[in-house]
Amino acid sequence: MLDLSIPELHKALEREGYICDLEQAVTIYLALKLGKPLLVEGAPGVGKTEVGKVLSRVLQTELIRLQCYEGLDENKALYEWNYQRQLLKIQVLKETGCAAGDETSLFGPEYLLERPLLKAIRADRRVVLLIDECDKVDEPFEAFLFELLSDFQVSIPELGTLTARQVPVVVLTSNGERELSDGLRRRCVYLYLDYPGVEKEVRILQARVPEAGEKLIRQIALVSGYLRSQADLKKRPSIAESLDWARALVALNAHCLTEENLHFTLNMLLKNQDDQDLVRSKIGLAALLNSCQKNETGPQAADRQEACRAAYGCRHA
Amino acid sequence: MQNHAPEMSLAIAKFVRVLRLSGVRVSVAETMDAYRALAWIDLLDRRQVKAALQALLIKNPHERPVFDRAFDLFFLPGEAKEELFARWRRQKEAEEQKLRAAGQELAQLFQPWQGYIPEKYRLTRENLQTFTRLPAREQKRLKELIAQMRGNPVNNPGELVARVVQAALNYWRYYLLKREAEEKEVPSPEDLFPVSADFYRDPGEQILYADLQNIQDEQLPKMTALIRRLSARLAGRLSRRYRQSRRSLAIDFRRTIRQNVRYGGTPLELRYRGRRPKRPRLILICDVSASMARYSRFVLQFIYGLNSAGQKVESYIFSEDLERVTPYFERRRDFAATMTDLMNESRQWGQTTNFYLALETFRREYKKLIAPDAVFIIVSDTRTVCWEQAAGLLGEMARKVRDVIWLNPVPAAGWPGLPAAAAFRKCAQMYECYSLYHLEKIFQKKIPG
Repeated sequence: MLDLSIPELHKALEREGYICDLEQAVTIYLALKLGKPLLVEGAPGVGKTEVGKVLSRVLQTELIRLQCYEGLDENKALYEWNYQRQLLKIQVLKETGCAAGDETSLFGPEYLLERPLLKAIRADRRVVLLIDECDKVDEPFEAFLFELLSDFQVSIPELGTLTARQVPVVVLTSNGERELSDGLRRRCVYLYLDYPGVEKEVRILQARVPEAGEKLIRQIALVSGYLRSQADLKKRPSIAESLDWARALVALNAHCLTEENLHFTLNMLLKNQDDQDLVRSKIGLAALLNSCQKNETGPQAADRQEACRAAYGCRHA
Repeated sequence: MQNHAPEMSLAIAKFVRVLRLSGVRVSVAETMDAYRALAWIDLLDRRQVKAALQALLIKNPHERPVFDRAFDLFFLPGEAKEELFARWRRQKEAEEQKLRAAGQELAQLFQPWQGYIPEKYRLTRENLQTFTRLPAREQKRLKELIAQMRGNPVNNPGELVARVVQAALNYWRYYLLKREAEEKEVPSPEDLFPVSADFYRDPGEQILYADLQNIQDEQLPKMTALIRRLSARLAGRLSRRYRQSRRSLAIDFRRTIRQNVRYGGTPLELRYRGRRPKRPRLILICDVSASMARYSRFVLQFIYGLNSAGQKVESYIFSEDLERVTPYFERRRDFAATMTDLMNESRQWGQTTNFYLALETFRREYKKLIAPDAVFIIVSDTRTVCWEQAAGLLGEMARKVRDVIWLNPVPAAGWPGLPAAAAFRKCAQMYECYSLYHLEKIFQKKIPG
């Protein structure tokens, strides 16, 4: 199933609705080819989890998801014995007066509760294992995780060592809340997702919310891009939020942005009261609208890149 | 895997070396992965090569601009590379010439006392380099100073003059070092450009790496927003890792049942939940003397951020003496108001520095805090009177506490010129810390849990 070339993979990803550039496609391709976990980092809402989901669609295989949280341990991530059932069995054995030799049967596969990691290892086909928000787990669990990811085998005392039949495609995502250990980083192919530029966001919106229409989509991308360039915001709007915003505007039958619908839907884009107040009072909705309509070719992002290039160029000239 | 030409592995090895020189940590395993990855991509497509190397060598977002720059410089077409080297050679030559000229000029000025200057006060190459980099005005002033001494009938003025000149040059060197990164930017062919990481960062990110001393007033709101984000994130991390579990002494049912399956489920052997590690007590002692005031403002803002996000830090400021400032942070007012209160009510702001007296006061009045769970964070440039006594006292305290961490806004390259720094380093872990980036990294990695 990995007979795709890089351009084919790129196309397949886009066909499944995941708009990405060549660099991202190459990174994903290498993770598949080298058989290494893919570590995806970036701000919340830029499409990290989506990478795992879309990969399972492209590879037409099952997606097994492990959502990480504080306090997650091996029992919840790897496997657990079904204690209730074991106890029942003991009771039944007692009642029926069976021989004690049956004790080994208590640790048969039917009493084993597979959790996502073990499920991925025991799967018959190559699956996609998505380990979401792995920066949320404790350090010891992280160490356990990268041990598992390096050789894809697990020892269960009662059953022996289980080795993966098919090494799964592993996608780890992290919001960067806690610094991941160097060991884990070293084992992974690294993909950093940044906020998209205006053009890319337009393409994403076109792929995901085509019903919004050309004009509205461009305006949405411009406003989101502009707001992201404002350093004062507590939480910058992510792609997920601009998608929601687009859907909200479509639901209101809007064909272009006006001050009125901007006023009513700003909370779809900025999920923080302080940020909303800041935009309303300091920047002003009318000014926000204006700045985006004037500058149709991609305002802040392009300017910033240009300034950046100029600065580097000058210093080196 | 297909075999690449030997030049390819050499190029990768060299490129990794450039990255390492630029401050990016790249392991051998990663280098090998990168090499293997090249077998899977189209080597003629520059974008693919770049993406592949980036995916396997760069594992942190903040290293990406460094990588971009290094890649663009390293994988140049032949002619462009030649031209770059030629330019580098020309610049080197010009520099050498300048050095020679300066050497001759100074030697001429020292001519009258040639025989009297002891070996250790002879100007070194480093001194000469500093001299050539001085602004013209300063060069002139120094030369005039030496010329004036000519008529001076003091005993053996040669030694005195040489010492004065050397001291002046050392002083200047220290200040020039800070700006070094901005000045030398034509690379050496050998390691193909130790690119200074600070230099190539995205201007939007630059503020994170900027020397706190140089933050302009108009950047303050941006800085404030950044500090708030960083400190909230750090405090979040700390609380998550070190929060004392309420169930710390409770029975762990799952493990107990598992342990007791062999007894038919009768809980004979109990298993308890483990105790979570205890959070250390952080104690900040921050120098707010004249030379430190600007740094300290940001450090205090950072600590304020930690405090308001729930991470408690016992805070003190000192210059001539010590004052406790924790209550200011507990008033839950915004930072500007807190700072105004603090500056109005404190007698320490902008005074001269006596770290010894400050420590003495601490030991007398807050003796209880000198305990094994305490981690001291000292923020100071080590310029203080009585530093020898202070170092002795700090050493004594360091033995009784968990850790002493010293954040020094002077870049590490300048420490050899500070005798006090050497003395304090014996009893404290000292880290250079002149930007928010340093501050965040140290809190993340070095402040123990």
